[in-house]
Amino acid sequence: MKIQRKTARADIPSLCMGDIAFNLLIFFVILARAQDESHLQWQPAHASDVQNTGHSKVSVLIDKDEKVYLNGQPVGIMQLASRIEAILLDSPQGERTVLLKVHRESKAIIFEPVIEAVSEAGGSLFHIVEKQNES
Amino acid sequence: MRAKRATKLLIEPPSSATGDIAFNLIIFFLVCASVQPESGREQSIPRSQEQEAEREEKHIEVQIRRNVALINGVVVRSDQFARRMERLLKDKKRNAERVVVVKSDKQVEYQHWIRITEMIETAGGIITIQMEEVREVLVN
Repeated sequence: MKIQRKTARADIPSLCMGDIAFNLLIFFVILARAQDESHLQWQPAHASDVQNTGHSKVSVLIDKDEKVYLNGQPVGIMQLASRIEAILLDSPQGERTVLLKVHRESKAIIFEPVIEAVSEAGGSLFHIVEKQNES
Repeated sequence: MRAKRATKLLIEPPSSATGDIAFNLIIFFLVCASVQPESGREQSIPRSQEQEAEREEKHIEVQIRRNVALINGVVVRSDQFARRMERLLKDKKRNAERVVVVKSDKQVEYQHWIRITEMIETAGGIITIQMEEVREVLVN
């Protein structure tokens, strides 16, 4: 007589699915954070007349320590124009917007060469500023 | 004697659903954060070649110092700056005439710079930044 082997069930418990998805999401959120600028510290300047910005491929940021970042990655002022040019390539006029996020206390010696580099690369400059309260 | 109710109602939410609830909350906040628009101000600065071509014209010159601004070498109070700039640009129709050369001290803060350039642009000026030229000389 042949003894039948007991078959063990190997189902993935469906109860854990939510937790697995949650952990996967946390993982991807942390990965994304490393590529964006949310970890950089800066305070925008104020202006009385502001508009909403559209989509942009390029963002240049000068943080509290007056370090320059291109799309979240540190960059030297000397390489900035060529790097922006490489990203913009042959983009048509409406898609050449470069967002400029400058800490309000940054000095002209730092931000003016950055503005010049954007202009040299043929980017359309868009200063990110906050609307000034009238009070 | 009071009769006890036979059925007990379930008052705890099922713990198996907490993962899904957290997941949906995160999706909600991620979507909210990603669609938040940024506000700012567009500024068109002519490219260097264009500036060279227009250098022959006599332009309005604005010097930005740490706390004050000068128009054509004269100190102008900040509350009068916009009005003075409007008056200077009033009769200028061609783009080449509306160019305003902006020179800033090295220590000028961005907040001050953005306020002055905003007033120039609101008055109809086209900003051109003039920086000190740095030239490297290699000595063999």
